[in-house]
Amino acid sequence: MATVTFDQITRVYPKSSTPAVDRLSLEINDGEFLVLVGPSGCGKTTSLRMLAGLEHVDEGTIWIDDRDVVKLAPRDRDIAMVFQNYALYPHMNVAQNMGFALRLAKVAKREIEQRVLDAAKILDLQDYLDRKPRQLSGGQRQRVAMGRAIVREPRVFLMDEPLSNLDAKLRVATRAEIAALQQRLGVTTVYVTHDQVEAMTMGDRVAVMKDGVLQQCDTPRVLYDDPVNAFVAGFIGSPPMNLVQGVVTEDGVRVGTASLAATHGLRAQPGHQLTVGLRPESLELGGADGGIPAIVSLVEELGAEAFVHAKIDGDEAATGLTSAAVIARVEPRLAPAKGERIRLRPKPGAMLFFDAATGERIRTAARVPDRR
Amino acid sequence: MTVTPAPAVPSGLASARLGGRAGRTREQPPTGVSRTAGYWFVALYVGLLLLLGIAPAAYAIYLAFAAHTGGGFASAFHAAFTDYRFWPAFGHVLEFMALWLVSQSVLVVGLVLMLHSMAQRVGAVFRFLFYIPGALAGAASVIVWLFMLDPQASPFALILHWFGYAQFNNTIAPGNLPAIFAIMAFWTGAGGWIVVMYGALNNVPHELIEAAQIDGANPFQTAFRIKLPLIRKWVVYMLVLSFAGGTQLFVEPTVLAPAAQGIGITKYWSPNQLAWFVASEYNQYNEAAVISVVLLALGLVIAGFLVWRGRLFGAD
Amino acid sequence: MAIPRRYAVRFVGLVVLLFFTAFFGVPIAWLFLASTKTDGQLLHSTPLAFGSLSTFAHTFHRIITYSGDSLLIWLKNSAIYSFGGTALAILAAIPAGYGLALTHFIGRRTLLSITLIVMIMPATALVLPLFLEMNKLGLYGTVWSLILPFGFFPFGVYLAYIYFSSTIPKDLLAAARIDGASEWGVFRYIALPLARPVVGLVGFFAFVASWNNFFLPFVMTYDNSQYPVQIGLQQLIGSTATFNPADYTAGASVEVLRRPDLAMGVLIAVAPVLIVFLFAQRTLVSGMLAGATKE
Repeated sequence: MATVTFDQITRVYPKSSTPAVDRLSLEINDGEFLVLVGPSGCGKTTSLRMLAGLEHVDEGTIWIDDRDVVKLAPRDRDIAMVFQNYALYPHMNVAQNMGFALRLAKVAKREIEQRVLDAAKILDLQDYLDRKPRQLSGGQRQRVAMGRAIVREPRVFLMDEPLSNLDAKLRVATRAEIAALQQRLGVTTVYVTHDQVEAMTMGDRVAVMKDGVLQQCDTPRVLYDDPVNAFVAGFIGSPPMNLVQGVVTEDGVRVGTASLAATHGLRAQPGHQLTVGLRPESLELGGADGGIPAIVSLVEELGAEAFVHAKIDGDEAATGLTSAAVIARVEPRLAPAKGERIRLRPKPGAMLFFDAATGERIRTAARVPDRR
Repeated sequence: MTVTPAPAVPSGLASARLGGRAGRTREQPPTGVSRTAGYWFVALYVGLLLLLGIAPAAYAIYLAFAAHTGGGFASAFHAAFTDYRFWPAFGHVLEFMALWLVSQSVLVVGLVLMLHSMAQRVGAVFRFLFYIPGALAGAASVIVWLFMLDPQASPFALILHWFGYAQFNNTIAPGNLPAIFAIMAFWTGAGGWIVVMYGALNNVPHELIEAAQIDGANPFQTAFRIKLPLIRKWVVYMLVLSFAGGTQLFVEPTVLAPAAQGIGITKYWSPNQLAWFVASEYNQYNEAAVISVVLLALGLVIAGFLVWRGRLFGAD
Repeated sequence: MAIPRRYAVRFVGLVVLLFFTAFFGVPIAWLFLASTKTDGQLLHSTPLAFGSLSTFAHTFHRIITYSGDSLLIWLKNSAIYSFGGTALAILAAIPAGYGLALTHFIGRRTLLSITLIVMIMPATALVLPLFLEMNKLGLYGTVWSLILPFGFFPFGVYLAYIYFSSTIPKDLLAAARIDGASEWGVFRYIALPLARPVVGLVGFFAFVASWNNFFLPFVMTYDNSQYPVQIGLQQLIGSTATFNPADYTAGASVEVLRRPDLAMGVLIAVAPVLIVFLFAQRTLVSGMLAGATKE
């Protein structure tokens, strides 16, 4: 159990001019499950590897509890890591793989056996202890990799996309198992993934990264309701948030050909270009007046709900928008037909505004979402 | 002898899909593909194989069993086995191989692990340096070492004096011969095996090394507990191939002999030398054939063993 | 302990590395340097000192012209045997490797097994049987007694087999066949142009093995005019004063050689192989061979 602190961590690869990780600062609490998420190349894996000691740190420090570990070799940091490809030793069986670190640490044989057995029970591996990795399925190998980490009883668990090599169904099941396991063991965990669904379902807090820079680190709820910029808004959530162009008007915002009522306190000059964020579930089928006109291009029937894909009518002069595709969630029985003209009305207070140029969130005084 | 290693052997055994694999059906080409064109491609090679591989071996077997002068069927075997020079020759060669195989295994493994933990380019320089003596395999390497073993002119004179050798004749005393030949064999052969093993080490996924580091292994433990077990089969190949080649020792003792006139190193120190000796001096072709057949059989058994076990190695 | 363990380990590693660098490298360096010195200098100066270029030239001349230009004759023979053998080896091995890898015929797998077995078996096992056979066939004493065996190169076949199976996708062949190519056409227009690396590899190994081969020529040649340079070197030892004081003091009419002459002889004898090594260095050391052995 330990706290982990990244303090202005930076890594620049020798042949490149832009940093792979740019002054990342993050404080992870004792026992917390923190997920690093972002698109490929955002620096999440590099950050994890720097924490592990497998990657050189160019600037900044990393603290585990109150120890500066940057100068320490991986073996002295008291961490355990689960690799994407499991990295199981092919010439050792499951028990030996799990007990290897303890053997190196010269722990008593009886204790090693006990700890390996305990971990195996947790992961349901008791029957496989004398098998070699090549005799195991993907899911079983993944569990052995986890077992190897658990047995160590380290201060921090590091996980590098451990689920990405599993098939979809197994992934969903294992996700829940890992989250439950971490809760039970209470070990501080830093988890890297590119899948935002994984991040949202597993993490106590989620740190979104892009191009080496930390965008936002918050609980999943806050990330969802109160994103700090357009990137986070569009990255988190499935289906993704609709991001359309809009422009500030005298009495509100114009999106496409529609004028929408002002949300109180939107501090921006008329004529200011905006990116307007609208979650699919915050769009209602509007009546004759009010709402954004659009043409339905596709309806996805999912049983309990339906997603309407529509093209907003554009008003190029005002918003620079010719047309934009949006997705709206509707009651399946109320779903319109393809080709139908509809109006989509944002629910009150559901619009999020971002500066069109910088992507930064423009907050309104009107409503601040509850932080639960 | 100085064996040029056949380095790329082992995986071929995996990819060759030899008959050992059960349940494989008879080869069927895709429709429309000629089933006989292949014969033309291999024709020249097969011709050479028959003429220069199968035929001489068959002829040697025939001669070995054919009537020895003054004896009956397979009497040449009796003549060979009771020849007072036969068993000592094998004894010499076995002594040589014990020294050579042990030192080569330990040193090649140690050196390659060391080189692998160094930066790529630096390691490459050393690997090339260690490989160069392979260019002198054969008579040239013997001559070079004749100079190295001469306490009067050798750059290693200090070491030789430390051993108590003041003169060349001291260094090449018959008792030292196995060790001397082992040094020569190692000098020319180690480089090739180091290159091969280095390639094998490169095939070890880097993630495994990282996992070992995180598990707490220091460089020695990583080398001996992770890397070494994963190249174990190459070490075995090296041992087995060297063993096979070692039994055939001929060049070194033959080339050394004229330089050791006063010592009484015989012309039949190794089995191959003995075979040539009885063939060329006494025209005892049958006895020579027996020795050849024995050596041939040894080589075949070892080769067959490797090829048979190869698929087990291939599965890893 | 005074020195931290890490540095002690590094130090020992360095010492070991230096020792083996000396072990492998000093004899070679000495060979070059010895050819630049006189015999007296060899005995009395520091082992790794350079002699002089004029001594080098002088020694060079001496050894080349020794015993009626024998060295040149030997070099010529080596060239004939080695280039002949290498050419034959390439001619046989490349199509054979291709055939084993990418065509179908009954007995393909058997042939592959036989090739592997013969390849692992040390070639020296066949020398005496070959001698007996050549004798019987009446080829003893001709160049064919050497070129033919040198051309029989199972290891080359194996290399070609591995190469063709791993670098030519089967789909490419299928496409060519659909396009109407005959089997020979597929080989000539698809495989052969892609085969340069393996031709180089096979040629390299065949050449080195042939040039350095001692046992086979020892058995197959009986006259100075037929000796390749390896056998010639052995003759030179017999004429070198240091190693044969008996001959020398007996006042034999044999010209006397000294150590530098012998060293120079060795240098000249290995020069072709050394040059080839230098050119092939990058490919060899990069472990290309082992790359071909990826599973």
